[in-house]
Parts: sequence; structure tokens; C-alpha cells
Amino acid sequence: MRLVDFKELTKVPLSNLDKVIYPKLGITKAKIIEHYVRAAPLILPFLEGRAAVMNRFPDGVGEEGFYEKDAPKGTPSWVKIYKRYSETARREINYVVCDDLDTLIWMANLAAVEINMPLSKVSSYEAPDFILFDIDPEPPFGFSEACQVALMLLDELESFGYRSYVKTSGKKGLHVVIPIVPSSNFEKTREFVHQMGRLLAKKSRMVVSEFSQSRDPSTVFVDFLQNGAGRTMVVPYSLRATPTATVSTPISWTDLRKGIRPEEFHILTVAGRLKELGPGGDPWSGLLEDRQELG
Amino acid sequence: MAEDESDFIDAKGAEAKARRSIWSGSISIGLVNVPVKLYSMTKDRSFSFRLLHKADGQPLRYDRVCIKEGKVIPWEETVKGYEVRKGEFIVFDKKELEAARPESDSRIRIDKFVDYLAVDPIYWDTPYLLAPDKSGDAYSLLLTTFQKLGKAGVGRITLRTKEYPVLVHASRGALLLTTLRYADEVLPVKGIEGLDGLREPRREELEMAERIVKDLSGDFDIADYKDGFRERIMKLIDKKLAGEIVVTEKPKKEEAKELMAALQETLAQLKKKGP
Repeated sequence: MRLVDFKELTKVPLSNLDKVIYPKLGITKAKIIEHYVRAAPLILPFLEGRAAVMNRFPDGVGEEGFYEKDAPKGTPSWVKIYKRYSETARREINYVVCDDLDTLIWMANLAAVEINMPLSKVSSYEAPDFILFDIDPEPPFGFSEACQVALMLLDELESFGYRSYVKTSGKKGLHVVIPIVPSSNFEKTREFVHQMGRLLAKKSRMVVSEFSQSRDPSTVFVDFLQNGAGRTMVVPYSLRATPTATVSTPISWTDLRKGIRPEEFHILTVAGRLKELGPGGDPWSGLLEDRQELG
Repeated sequence: MAEDESDFIDAKGAEAKARRSIWSGSISIGLVNVPVKLYSMTKDRSFSFRLLHKADGQPLRYDRVCIKEGKVIPWEETVKGYEVRKGEFIVFDKKELEAARPESDSRIRIDKFVDYLAVDPIYWDTPYLLAPDKSGDAYSLLLTTFQKLGKAGVGRITLRTKEYPVLVHASRGALLLTTLRYADEVLPVKGIEGLDGLREPRREELEMAERIVKDLSGDFDIADYKDGFRERIMKLIDKKLAGEIVVTEKPKKEEAKELMAALQETLAQLKKKGP
């Protein structure tokens, strides 16, 4: 029995809407699609013109998911594709470019719980337009230590004249980004993040800057390695495959300083938060227009 | 309440089986034998839930999966192993284990008699009921002797494949057999933090404490205590059976409606912004 007809609203043939994807909360695929639909106005500008990578969990987040770079079999013809030869896969990959709501709904319908964006657009694949500091605490350090390090990083970046933006990773860490004019290359952005990491490591014993130290207990690693062609970050407002359906959520620096808990931002609270913030109230609104030069 | 519960379990056929004898043999004291049957005397009331697949409500089963191959292994292809170090096992086959098992000789061998109340309850494990097996006179004689002298017999029994120390004693107008724990199954008190160097209480403290204990003294009645969690769950089960409780999950229709509303709102919002 179908009570509602989605056909007038989307060209995606929605399927298995009552399949449970988050077993602990009993959250179904319908809810996941609803989340992406509600957050679409804030997500789409970030996905536009980029080769999206899906992390799909068709059997729910309790089971292993899989990264899907290549457009799967049966991809509708209206989904925009970007073809590019991959060195690691040694073949041409058909990347999905998610420029519209229907494509986003189509991905959500594939149980793409996590949606990832590369740090460059397909139009200038080798030239990043984001710098990413992936702030990753190692237990027993957790979110509050990640916050301390992010705030230290903010001070440094400000002293160099950069405006940065922060979001929760949806797990224990934080993502700090600087939108830049795509005139550089990944080697430069990676080196920039690495240097900032070393600077912080010198100033604070809790920070480590090298990959080899990233698993040392009670440290916070400033991960620079995601600054690479084809490397990705979860988009703002992406769901995470955690038992509690957390969401990678943009936060204002003021709120981060006041103290937040990343678990507060999950599939059931984010819609309310968006409503509360109102149009243009998202901490990352205006980010895409704030492109800076990497000096 | 208690009767309602057993009705419920009876319906499932579990209770009815409980009073069948589980062993028969004889108590042997020197040259005297008293044929008896052994019955369960306790029942574990903590119930268990079956694990179901949330999506379709079907029960899940456990499989023996080989860690290396990730495949289900049939019983015939299994052996037993004792882990000596992490990941290192000494392997035993069936014959070796059978050879080491004690022989069940259908005897409860009484080694000596002790004062019933002198046995530290910490060693008591599981009580069973002993009933005469066409041996009413001998049984009654032993029971009455124990009751009169306040004595109990200490001995051994082999149940299934394990030998247990046991206490045979009189209780509730019958002979009971209580399996005992081995000495090394009871952990020492020594070495636990906070127990060393306890201060001797002052006299006035002690007097006050004694007064409190006297005031709160009464007769022991285990029926004063109930498993609250169990009772609440049983009530919920009754309600669910009677159809009073609607499944707490949201009806699917609602979810589809909400998704529909979200779509309409977002489409309107995106339209306003323009392409």
C-alpha cells in the first residue's frame, strides 16, 4: 500500500524505505533520506562540481560498509558522471557529481550513510580549494582535547591572517578548514598543514604532527594527509556510521569555546538546530565566498 | 502474582519437566545402602530473551565459525583445546577426555558425619532433593537420626561427568543433597584493599550499633524479597499478549509522510534560492 506518491517530488524510485539502518535507534532509510533532504540546501553547495565518494551501509551501520567511488551498476542516466583515471585502482573511475537534490536523494536511497567530498573540484582536480586540518585525538584523549587543540590552531591561523571554519567530525575529532582560491597544489596545502601541526606540537605537549606518532596514547594528531588529490572529508551535515547516528556539524568558534558535546548533534536533533539557526544562520554559510590566498 | 507467572511458564512446558528425577542410585554408608532418587530443588527464575533480527523478527542462531576461514564448522570437525598461552592450545580428543572422566557408580558415598550448622555456607552450591526409592524405612531412619542429632553426612557424588563433594542433610522434612564447592573454588579474603588494619570500634559506637541491630531484628523471610525487574517485564509481557501495548516504533506511514513533507519544504526552499 502506498499512501503517498513521491513521483511528483523526485525522479528517484525510492526503495526499502522501512529498512532499519541504525539498529540501536531503529532509524530507517526513510529517516536517512529525510535527513539529507532537509540538509540539502546546506550540503549541495559543498558537493557541487566535486567527485563525491559514498560510504554505503546497505545492511545497516552494525555491519561493515563500503566506500564507493565508482558509480554503481544501474546508475540512472540523469546522474552526472566525472570520468577520471585512478592510479590506485588502475582504471577509469566514473565518479558521481552531486549537483542537485535528486542525486543526493539517489545516494541516500543507496544507503550512502556517509557522503564525502574531495578538497578540489573536478574542474581543477589538482588544485585544492580547501585546506583541511583533521584534528584527531587518540584515547584517552577525546573531544575536549581536540577542542583545545582546535582553539590553539585558530589562534595561530588568525595571527597569520587566515579565517578558518570548524565542524565536528561526528566522531571524536574536529575538522578545521580554510577555503582558498584554487591556484595552488596539494603538495603546498599539505605542507602548510604539516607545518602548522609542527608549530603546535612545539607549543603543546598534547599535539603530535607526524603520522608515526598518530597512534600514541594521549595525543592529538593534526592530520595533514587528507590534503591530497582524491582524498576526501565528510561533507558538512553528513551522517556518520556511529551507533547513535551522529552528524558532522558546523560549529561557530564562539560555541566551540563555550563547550559543546559532539554527541548532541545527531540525526534527530540536527533538523531542529537548522530551524533554530534559520536561513543564513549556519556557521558555515558564507564559507564558500570567503576564498583566501595561500601565501 | 507468583501463581500467574508459573501459569505462564507452564504453558510453555518448562515447569512440568522440572520435577522429574534426574539421577537414581543409593546413599552408601559403610556397608549400608539406601536407594534414592535425586530431584531438582531450585529453579533459575532469571529469564532470558531470544535475540531476534529486528527487521523481520526471526530468531537468530549461533554458529561455530572458524576465526581464520570465517566458515561455519560442523561438529564432526571440532576438537577441544585448552589455551595455555594466548593463541596456543593443547588439543584433546574425545577418547582422552573420556578416559580422564570420573566413573559414575550411582553411589553417594558418605565419608563422615559433621555438625550440620558447622559447615560454612560459602561452600554450599546447589541443593537437590533426595527421595526414597522403595526404601522408605531406611530413608526415614537416616532422616530422623540427622534431625535428632543435628548432624549431616559429607561425601561425594558423580553427576554427569563431574565429581562433587556433597552434604546430605535434613531439611523441610526430607533429606537434601547439597553439592559443595571445592576449597580452591572459594577465593581468599586476604589482599583486598581496605580490609587490612581495621580499627577496633569504640565501646559507645558498638553499643549504639548493637541497639540498632536489635531494633531492626526480625524473622528471616525470603518472601520479603522480589525480583522487581522480572515482575515488571512479566507485566509487560502480559500487556503485550493482551494487545494493550502498541509497538513503540513509529508506524511506517508516518515516516513516509515526514519524508514527503521534508521534500516539499526543501524543494520550495531551493526554488526560492534559484538554481
